[in-house]
Amino acid sequence: MARGFDHLFKLLIIGDSGVGKSSLLIRFSDDTFSGSYITTIGVDFKIRTVDIDGLRVKLQIWDTAGQERFRTITSTYYRGTHGVIVVYDVTNGESFANVRRWLEEIQNNCDVVNKVLVGNKNDDPDRKVVIFEDAQRFAKQMDIELYETSAKDNINVDNMFLSITRQVLHHKLRTSPNEQQKDIVNLNTTNNHRRKCCR
Amino acid sequence: METVGDSVPNGTAPPRTTLDIVKERFKEDEVILSIFDAYQIIGHEYTNRLLALVSSASGGTFAIIAFSYLRTPPLTTVNELIINKVFAIDSSFQIRQDSMGSINTQQFDLSTAEDGPFKYYYFPTESSNYEDFHAKITSCQRSMAQYDPEAVLNFRWLNDYRQIGEVKQELKKRESEYIVYEDIHIFCATWNVNNKPCGDGENPLRSWLGHTAQPPDIYAIGLQELYAPAKAMAYEMVKTTQMGGIEKTWIDKIMASLHPDAKYEVLGTQRLVATMLTVIVRQQIRPQITRCRLKTVARGVFNALGNKGGVGISLQLNEGNLCFINSHLAAHMANVEERNADYNAIVQGMTFDDGRTISDHDHIFWVGDLNYRIQEPPGQQRPGPMSDAQTYELLLQYDQLRQEMQRGKCFEGYTEGDIKFRPTYKYDPGTDTYDSSEKQRAPAYCDRVLWKGTRIEQLAYNSIMEIRQSDHKPVYAVFRVKIKTRDAVKYKRVQEEVLKAVDKRENDNQPQINVEKTVIDFGSVRFNEPVTQNFTVFNNCPLPVDFSFKEKDIHAICEPWLHVDPRHDSLLIDSARSIRLKMHVSVRTIAGLLRKIRQSDNFDILILHVENGRDIFITVTGDYQPSCFGLSMETMCRTDRPLGEYTQEQIKQLINDDSPEYRVTMPREFFLLIDFLYKQGPKQEGAFPSYDSRQSLGSQFNLLRDWLDSWSDEPFPVNAETAAQALLLLLDLPEQALLEPFVEDLLTCSNKSRAMDYISLLSPPKRNVFMHLCMFLRAGIESQYYDLQQVASIFGRILLRSGECTAWMDYHSRCVQFMRLFIDNDMESLGNGNDGAGSGDRTAGLQA
Repeated sequence: MARGFDHLFKLLIIGDSGVGKSSLLIRFSDDTFSGSYITTIGVDFKIRTVDIDGLRVKLQIWDTAGQERFRTITSTYYRGTHGVIVVYDVTNGESFANVRRWLEEIQNNCDVVNKVLVGNKNDDPDRKVVIFEDAQRFAKQMDIELYETSAKDNINVDNMFLSITRQVLHHKLRTSPNEQQKDIVNLNTTNNHRRKCCR
Repeated sequence: METVGDSVPNGTAPPRTTLDIVKERFKEDEVILSIFDAYQIIGHEYTNRLLALVSSASGGTFAIIAFSYLRTPPLTTVNELIINKVFAIDSSFQIRQDSMGSINTQQFDLSTAEDGPFKYYYFPTESSNYEDFHAKITSCQRSMAQYDPEAVLNFRWLNDYRQIGEVKQELKKRESEYIVYEDIHIFCATWNVNNKPCGDGENPLRSWLGHTAQPPDIYAIGLQELYAPAKAMAYEMVKTTQMGGIEKTWIDKIMASLHPDAKYEVLGTQRLVATMLTVIVRQQIRPQITRCRLKTVARGVFNALGNKGGVGISLQLNEGNLCFINSHLAAHMANVEERNADYNAIVQGMTFDDGRTISDHDHIFWVGDLNYRIQEPPGQQRPGPMSDAQTYELLLQYDQLRQEMQRGKCFEGYTEGDIKFRPTYKYDPGTDTYDSSEKQRAPAYCDRVLWKGTRIEQLAYNSIMEIRQSDHKPVYAVFRVKIKTRDAVKYKRVQEEVLKAVDKRENDNQPQINVEKTVIDFGSVRFNEPVTQNFTVFNNCPLPVDFSFKEKDIHAICEPWLHVDPRHDSLLIDSARSIRLKMHVSVRTIAGLLRKIRQSDNFDILILHVENGRDIFITVTGDYQPSCFGLSMETMCRTDRPLGEYTQEQIKQLINDDSPEYRVTMPREFFLLIDFLYKQGPKQEGAFPSYDSRQSLGSQFNLLRDWLDSWSDEPFPVNAETAAQALLLLLDLPEQALLEPFVEDLLTCSNKSRAMDYISLLSPPKRNVFMHLCMFLRAGIESQYYDLQQVASIFGRILLRSGECTAWMDYHSRCVQFMRLFIDNDMESLGNGNDGAGSGDRTAGLQA
């Protein structure tokens, strides 16, 4: 392997304030969860490298501030993004209602982008107000894959991140099938250029 | 400068030099040509750097690796070195000593196409001899330049020193956790076929290739002296198709003769004229072979003819690297030296095109007609044809190969199994009888199988007597090799852990800074009163950090009413920096601020960007204390109390209100200013000296601002000049010019009645302000307090302020022209244009 990874993708996590965007990221990157809520004021990123079907994919995952007043400023971070993770809180109907707005943000700020819809905090059935069937129907209608996760109980988090990564990867391989060949060709052309060292 | 060389060993352990320690950071085939103590200046601090000029034998290239220290030098262990930068010495590499304009001449820049230039400084000492270091770099560059400029330089070895090498190194370190060894059976065979056709029909080769108890996993079969009809040896003379056909016939024959209990496929075949090596593998292990390279080394006449020489196949099976060589070395009893030379030439020349040499393999198998003979014992009869197994040992004492190996002349490190078979050469073809021709060639063990490497066990080594078509007998050897293999499940787990650990390190090493607060609240902010807030950023991560405020739109990092200082800086570990944020709602910025307030609940959001790290949003808020300056006439006419009593939120509602309901006919503030100026009589003379007088607001201005914004009962606080200035501002600061939306129409009106048509369409506050203003100016001009031309020019440009029309060539004169229609007393009298401007008593006051 010439590089430490075969692909480098930028993912973006968006959604209302308090739905658990940072918690999802920290669960995925550090495998930890902290119950205390710290508002993200800005844009933070973590990296994680995963193996997808034998290809090493390095993910740079950007976590954005969800607060309304930062919406204009965060929209400038959509540029160059390969995949977007739209998060709502299954215990907060309004955050689900706002998903449509977030999807519009994506449409307004990105060209072609892969996305996934995530209902987080899916760990307490008593508090759940956005039922799976409704979310699923909406997701189907929007042609977007839905995952219900819990960053707290580590439910479905890896699956969700791997799914969007796979989506981005397949999209990339489909659009540039020759990409794969490059390394092999390079290996073959750098032949026999052995030099004696100077002393 | 520490020169490269081994320290003289003495009785006790020699003290380790910096160079010794740095060496540990590099691989065996990488040589440190020079190390150099330098430093960089980051912020205001000196930071030590160690530069190592390194040459890689495998890459054949050079690079400079710059290290930073985890602790203050001197170095005690290799772990204190952190790779800071990697400079490949390629054609784009530059080292420049440019100290122009700098006090310090001890400095240089390093740059490559991807990176730099980076400045390094040094103190000229023994360990920092720049001339020496520079000379060595230049010599590296020169030696690179000697090669083909088209050649692709191999810098892959540097990947291990860029961040990405970490995963590889970590995986290597934990190899024992996922490596298992898998038994593989390898069948190596060699046969000099003596230019005989391979024949057809039944399968005589099966007794040679297909007889083992267990089907081999890999066959490596070397043939020499393949049948060449014209006995043509030189490449050119052998028609490829012809030889290709012969090659194919042999391979077909071989394939048909392999062990019947397994399915095989040809992995690769390499032929040098009549010497051919083919590697055949069981189909079931084929997917585990990840690499296969072929190579030939020609010997013979002029070392080029290729009637002698070697062919090699290199392959990777799981994690094991295997190499198979078939060689045909120089013939005849006396040519021992030539055979040794052929062997060495093959070893030298056999570099596969991924750069791998024979010795870069874990398991090496060398077969062939090596042509070493049985030396005649001096003064004795040569050994006759023998068949007694007990005499093999005696014969082998005189075997040239064993003798030469003992003398270290060839096949160093190779092993050969016990030979328990008759010499394989030279027989009368078709018989088991040694050469009966006139030449009476002495029998010899020409055909051999040797091996080198780890975890190899020979299971069999023999010749096949019953294959008689050649003057050589075929030889074979069977090996059990323990091949390094990754346990897929364990490997996946370890890899996941390693990736996570490396990622975690990267995440943890992400530059971080903390800010004291993310909301900067200016508190009460007033027009024309700059205010300042400081906040602290500090670096408590283990790395120096660069930060900057990020540009948001085209050029600006912040809105024009804000000023940030510094805009960027570097923070050393555990250091802090105070950022000064100044807010100034000025003549220039008031319109923008009011627009911002209408749309948002903050004055601005700054992006504090950490280089290679996160962005922090800093929200700037405060309470803008409304003032009449900057507000539209309509808004002012909607107020029911002094503007100073409004909150930011209330004024926001007022600004956003677009109902046609007004509380007064014209703004009280405007009326009071006009009223004051009018009453000044002659004292107002020259109060409007130029258009730009409003730019620098005198110290008195804020007194007037407060007086106006509080509806004060106190006497008018300032002089006529300041009042005039305030009047101009009151008219000019609103976002929209007073005569909008008809500026363009009015500029093209030539007569007053047409102009009046437009004026009458203005909103009542604007219309009243305009009419009242014109009355006032007319009176002043009449009294010769002002110059008509000057006043027309100043007010024209304010009332008819326009983005587009300013570009007109005659914009200015048209403004003057328009104003004159209304303020020139020589022109036609105004008529009844004053439809209800001001309340009766106020106009009365004006006329008094």
